[in-house]
Amino acid sequence: MTDGLMAVPETPMPTRRRRRRHSQWNGLLFVLPSLLLVTIFFIVPLGMAAWMSLHKWPLMGVPRWVGFDNYERLLTDKSFWSSLWFTIEYTVVITIGLLGVAMALALIVQGQGKAISAYRTIYFLPVVTGFASAALLWVWLSNVDTGLFSPLAQDIGLTEGRVNILANFTPAFWSVIFMVIWKMAGFYMVILMSGLQSIPTDYIEAARIDGAKWSQRFRFIIMPLIRKPFALALILCISGSMLAFDQFYIILSGGPRNQTVTAVYKIFNESFISFRLGYGAALSMVLLVILLALSVIQLTFLSDKGPKK
Amino acid sequence: MTIKALLGGVAMAAIALPGLAQAETFSLWVRSDGSEFMPKLVDAFNAKGEDKAELQIVPVNELVQKYAIAAAGGSQPDALSLDLIFTPSFAQAGQLKDMTDFAKSLPYYDSLSQAHLSVGTYDGKIYGMPFSADASVLVWNKNLYKKAGLDPDKAPANWNDIRKAAEAIGALGDDTYGFYFSGNCGGCNIFTFTPLIWASGGNLFEDKGAKATVKTPQMKDALEFYRGMAKDDLVPAGSQTDSGSNFFAAFAGGNIGLTPSGSFAIGALNNQYPDLDYGVTYLPGKDGDWSSFAGGDNIVVSAKTDEDKMPAIEAFIKFAYSSEGQTILAKNGSLPVRADVAEEALKGLDSRYLIAAKAMDKGRTPYTPVFNDLINSLNGPWVNMLNKAFFADSAEEVDEAMDEAQEEMQSIIDSSR
Repeated sequence: MTDGLMAVPETPMPTRRRRRRHSQWNGLLFVLPSLLLVTIFFIVPLGMAAWMSLHKWPLMGVPRWVGFDNYERLLTDKSFWSSLWFTIEYTVVITIGLLGVAMALALIVQGQGKAISAYRTIYFLPVVTGFASAALLWVWLSNVDTGLFSPLAQDIGLTEGRVNILANFTPAFWSVIFMVIWKMAGFYMVILMSGLQSIPTDYIEAARIDGAKWSQRFRFIIMPLIRKPFALALILCISGSMLAFDQFYIILSGGPRNQTVTAVYKIFNESFISFRLGYGAALSMVLLVILLALSVIQLTFLSDKGPKK
Repeated sequence: MTIKALLGGVAMAAIALPGLAQAETFSLWVRSDGSEFMPKLVDAFNAKGEDKAELQIVPVNELVQKYAIAAAGGSQPDALSLDLIFTPSFAQAGQLKDMTDFAKSLPYYDSLSQAHLSVGTYDGKIYGMPFSADASVLVWNKNLYKKAGLDPDKAPANWNDIRKAAEAIGALGDDTYGFYFSGNCGGCNIFTFTPLIWASGGNLFEDKGAKATVKTPQMKDALEFYRGMAKDDLVPAGSQTDSGSNFFAAFAGGNIGLTPSGSFAIGALNNQYPDLDYGVTYLPGKDGDWSSFAGGDNIVVSAKTDEDKMPAIEAFIKFAYSSEGQTILAKNGSLPVRADVAEEALKGLDSRYLIAAKAMDKGRTPYTPVFNDLINSLNGPWVNMLNKAFFADSAEEVDEAMDEAQEEMQSIIDSSR
């Protein structure tokens, strides 16, 4: 290894192959720190989680080897599958909502000008609030007695009397969706905007001259050209939403009546409320596999080599 | 830096050296609920100049996790003031030291809180001893009673009394409500709702926690009692989604007629809301009688604690049980846990404490090693059933909620054995 470090350029005529080997060792040396970090903070914990998932591992007391019992049990655990199903529903709704709104915002703010950059800032502002603080703000706004929405709806005559929006699934779910869009749309807007700005204006102008309508320009020029940033936004959005936890924990505590318990929430409950760390680890491994599969599918569909029409 | 460190070292040595002769230092944890009385008690104990306790206050929701992590790494505290309901699960996990001989050697053993000892006992051995206490009671707003033309000094003695008073107060105006309960909080309701069932002759667990008895006529009556009040708008709409944050604050706001609460509320109301004139009474049964949830902490010793430290820990426990210790507790928000000095400890305090102390005396604590799972979990069967039943549209829905809870609780209990 030290040899590699000492590789000095003025060494008289090293053979080509030798130089390549040297530079390979150098390369390894340069990635070593990050490799070390990845090993310590990702690979080792992952291995430990996999190891734990094969045990009955209480928070206190002695872990006991149970082989694949945890996995067998999760196959018939209705609450896990229903939480997973809810997470998928949420992911579909939030992805459509988020990327739709973000695309609209990106189209608005892609241009130049003072006013536009002000709007850009305004749309991006909620992104810099933490998820937990945004959720807490929402808890207060949606409080039926002391918040904003219910009293307001009553005062302007929208509802008769106060309606507790967090008490029933439909309004509670949509209020969380609304909150997440408010909070996150600015982030995806920036990603999509960078894509939009990299489209050369002549393409659009040429299309215009040829008489392409706005919808045609959007469909046949803009969308194909922002495929890559769009793919990035999509993958971030889907994997982020599959891991949703804070908003449902803080705003709804998984309620009304456990209808908004997400997969991560279920893992949290098993591990830290019921103290079954082994079972929680098994659920995490399953979620990991699902996320991996989803990412691979998306990457194949959205990469340049992906299935062409 | 170095000078500071040096000075620190000298100071540490100065503290530690005289200790070498005889005295021992032990570490002690308490959950944040005890942050009023515990530091004062520890200071008074340390001031005696013999053994020393080193106190650490841990956020209440993280205590079990923190302890478990510390225990896995061998840095667990020597002693711990533990929410009493966790004693069976800690004992079951083999984390605690058997204290039977010490407990029984105390001359006032028979006067110690029986409710604490009943959950402190596992497999016939005593692992947790009573430390601090909190009893559930019913409080009513005397100002609103007067406004509604009710006798402010007549405490409700059964459910019908509560309902009548709630109706009269609810009729006062749009922003005034007769009754309040945190409709989505398992912890609050095990504390304040189960006494209604106990006082009516029902129970939640039988056979040392081996059997869940959710499906009983008493449970059904109590659920219907709350459901009726929620349906007739005697309870604010926010109750349905209150997972405990408003448990105390709702009544303190001054627009609630009655609410079940805990003895902790007496001190808090006196200090923070001096204008609120309120009465304290027992949580009644359907047709009279009364009951209470005996809450609070048990003091436990970690299984791995050095035997050398035991005399110091025992001295601390004895000090807490002395009339001096019990007085410090009583003055700082806990009820006494030793009945024969309770009156002395409460002397000069608000007379409403005496009612709470009496409630404690007769108080009960449900026994189960899976308390967190069944009761405290925000998504557990207990809170699920309550939320569904309190705000159900029909009696059938209440039955359905009870059936579900009965089945799920029993399966959680069975799978933990």
